[in-house]
Amino acid sequence: MCLSRILQFSRMSKRKVSDYLKEEYQFKFESYGVKIGIKSNNKSFLKKMEKHLRKIVPASFVIDDSLEAEHDFLLNVKSDGLYELYKDGEKITFGESEENFFNFSTSKLRLTIAEYADSRVFLHAGVVGWNGKAIVIPGKSFQGKTTLVAELIKRGALYYSDEYAVLNEEGLVYPFPKTLSLRGFVDKYKQVETEAQSIGGKIGAEPIPVGMVLITEYEAGAEWKPRIISAGQGIMEILAHTIPIRYNPQFSLQVLNKMANHAIIAKSKRGEARDFVETLLKFYETNVR
Amino acid sequence: MNSSQVPVARKQGLVVQEMPEEVLIYDLDTNKAHCLNKTAAFVWKSCDGNKSIADITKSFENDFGSPVNEDLVWLAVEQLNDKNLLSEGLQTNFKGQNRREVIKKIGFAAVIALPVVASLTAPSSALATASCACVAPADCAAQTGCPSTVNCNPSGVCAP
Repeated sequence: MCLSRILQFSRMSKRKVSDYLKEEYQFKFESYGVKIGIKSNNKSFLKKMEKHLRKIVPASFVIDDSLEAEHDFLLNVKSDGLYELYKDGEKITFGESEENFFNFSTSKLRLTIAEYADSRVFLHAGVVGWNGKAIVIPGKSFQGKTTLVAELIKRGALYYSDEYAVLNEEGLVYPFPKTLSLRGFVDKYKQVETEAQSIGGKIGAEPIPVGMVLITEYEAGAEWKPRIISAGQGIMEILAHTIPIRYNPQFSLQVLNKMANHAIIAKSKRGEARDFVETLLKFYETNVR
Repeated sequence: MNSSQVPVARKQGLVVQEMPEEVLIYDLDTNKAHCLNKTAAFVWKSCDGNKSIADITKSFENDFGSPVNEDLVWLAVEQLNDKNLLSEGLQTNFKGQNRREVIKKIGFAAVIALPVVASLTAPSSALATASCACVAPADCAAQTGCPSTVNCNPSGVCAP
């Protein structure tokens, strides 16, 4: 049983925060060595969150109510409809939209795992599998990663992630298959959560080596002029998207080096994903063995 | 410029990742990453506190099998110095020429690549590269990679 009603707290700060909660539920889990506790006075909200987490970190999600959490989250749904999020006793945010609150809270949880994972390096990147190897597309939000990942899925690529490339010490990439956050249906900012299966995709199950890292961003009318850059130059590009680089630089560099030793790193701007994807796959077939 | 000067590579507070053709260095004090190309990496690794600039130039020639102008080593040392990758600062002076003139002069003659030290500051917060999700405007302040760092729109995105 993952949710359990709890009666008291171990730390004063949290006792103060949750004193006014009439009912409280919690679950604790470990993912990639990161121990997280989540409490809430709303059981269904907590269940929804657990379901989300279970799905996106399938390779490492262990519920264990006895563990000592290193990161404590508290989700408080007030009677006036206000949602509040606390992390380690400190109020992080509050608002009235349940959807926005859920998206933000889950994003924070994913980021906490990404930053503190002790045996993995998380890159902010889109990832697909192609012929047994991964195409990793690091980039900031709004650079078109998800759109490109979606187009690759439509061409038969296996879906690994539209948010994080999860690398182990050998540089193999694991699935992190959250729903695709596609934009452009409602407006250019609103994300619509889309299952990979709904666009004909299959989700990758096994860790795979990286075949290509693609340093790119969308620019209207841009021509694809790829340069294969050196491993060192490539890692410098990737570092800006390496979540634990400040927390654990040594391990991060080791893992990136392993990845880069087996992959090509290509850099170019690109145009529309739909038009570009065929060119990309031809480039991949030519350059990745 | 004194070719008898003995540069010493800094070792403290650095994470060093050797690569086949390059060296990556992460400075724990400044959270800056540096990528040294083959030429710069050779010079940095040669700065052992025993070899003078003239000695490094000679060992460079032996290793690369090609004559090397001492200015090439000085160019590397100058960059390593600027990036705080030497334990003690060295005074560089290209005999009245400015750096650009020296690069031009060496560039025409050199068979091997000019030394390059590329640098980058690691993102100050993991949030900087995060998803741009928000509940309130304050959530956007640290999400510096998003379209807005001051506005949380009705869709819950840090954007106009």
